[in-house]
Amino acid sequence: MNNPQIILIACNLLLGLAAGFIMHRSDFCIAGMFRDLFLFRSTTMLKNLLLLILTSMILFEVARRSGLLFIFPFPLLGSASVTNLLGGCLFGIGMVLAGGCVVGTLYKFGAGSVTSAFTLLGLILGSFLYSEFHPWWAGLAKQTTIFSGRVTIPQILDVDPGVIVLIFAFVGAAWLVKEVRKSGLSRPAMIDNYLQPWKASLLLSVIGLLSFAAVGMPLGITTAYAKLGAFVVNSLGPEHVAKLGYFAGQPLNYNIPHLNLALRGGAGAQLDGIALVQFPLIGGIILGAFFSAMAAREFHLHFHVPARQYVSALCGGLIMGLAARMAPACNVWHLLGGLPILGAQSILFLVGLLPGAWLGTLVLTKTVLSR
Amino acid sequence: MIEAELQTLNFDIRGQICPSALLTALRELNRHRPSLKKGTVRLQFLTDNRDATITIPGAANNMGYVVEVKKEDSYYLVIVSPNLN
Repeated sequence: MNNPQIILIACNLLLGLAAGFIMHRSDFCIAGMFRDLFLFRSTTMLKNLLLLILTSMILFEVARRSGLLFIFPFPLLGSASVTNLLGGCLFGIGMVLAGGCVVGTLYKFGAGSVTSAFTLLGLILGSFLYSEFHPWWAGLAKQTTIFSGRVTIPQILDVDPGVIVLIFAFVGAAWLVKEVRKSGLSRPAMIDNYLQPWKASLLLSVIGLLSFAAVGMPLGITTAYAKLGAFVVNSLGPEHVAKLGYFAGQPLNYNIPHLNLALRGGAGAQLDGIALVQFPLIGGIILGAFFSAMAAREFHLHFHVPARQYVSALCGGLIMGLAARMAPACNVWHLLGGLPILGAQSILFLVGLLPGAWLGTLVLTKTVLSR
Repeated sequence: MIEAELQTLNFDIRGQICPSALLTALRELNRHRPSLKKGTVRLQFLTDNRDATITIPGAANNMGYVVEVKKEDSYYLVIVSPNLN
């Protein structure tokens, strides 16, 4: 391993540590935000998510115009197709059944949640299972691609992104002032060391910016799950993995100039560019949450949980894993990365996420948590 | 004092998948509403879910009860008591 690779690993580890710690302290569970909208008509956390997206939008555009972003849009974000919508919907179902989204599962796992371990298992399984029908799904994506070659709304409309961001910034600021006046973003906490979500939102938008500027991509981890699945199956019998074309693909292909590093990679069972970026990120998030839980004296493994919840966690994870490959990518990638740069894929992902989360909530309350 | 007559009902909801903590609490709060209104019981929820330490008190307060959150060794105790005013 050479210096640039070590620097990249350290970078992602630090970003992950920070994100894991922050999200644990403020219980920044994106799955819960959408679920609780349908379950309790609760909107406080969603408002905080909106703050995060708006802030990121402004930060990213300012960075782009200042020349701080060496690549734009970021790699692995493609043109919109119906698969983003369908993948988003399926993801919504899975994340609610699992009790947490992809990153949420990681920070809960780091904090000691045993059901999250089952979700992780499901995620790896689901990500791997996707490879079985990848050719058909990739074909569908290609056939239904709209505005081919263009990734963001400004690109599609042929307008300066700054104009759109400015409009959002003004409307967003007006909305924010109104909300702050009635404390619409804060949550009444009765415990120590609770980080108010609005603070988490601001911090996470900065972390997203740092990732974009340093690595070239916002936070994203789901390809790593397919890779983990590939490693496992590879150890059992490499012939099967070799047959599945998905693992041979190397969609990641770009250079990081300030590190003089070329990143290539895919979902296959090899230590490549994807592993370099995502494994430290995953590890960092888990560790960050672990430290946070330990410092708050909350870390403990509780096993005495209704069996149905383990099943829900596993199935939810599996569905999420599949959906994250189908969409492609997860909610953090799209909502915290793609949406702020007005990526068309991410907008479709969000549009699909809503009915999916609604359906997942229905299934959860009617079957898993019913008495 | 009246405090001494309060029967404490414990509910261990640690380790459960979200939003089970809040849903269980709501169910128990509703189930024991008559006793809570009469002032004869106090409900104690053992939870490791940080979110629940915000949402359960919120719901219980809305129902008119008195809520206290205590930090135990590796979990939280959310104590819902009748409003004796």
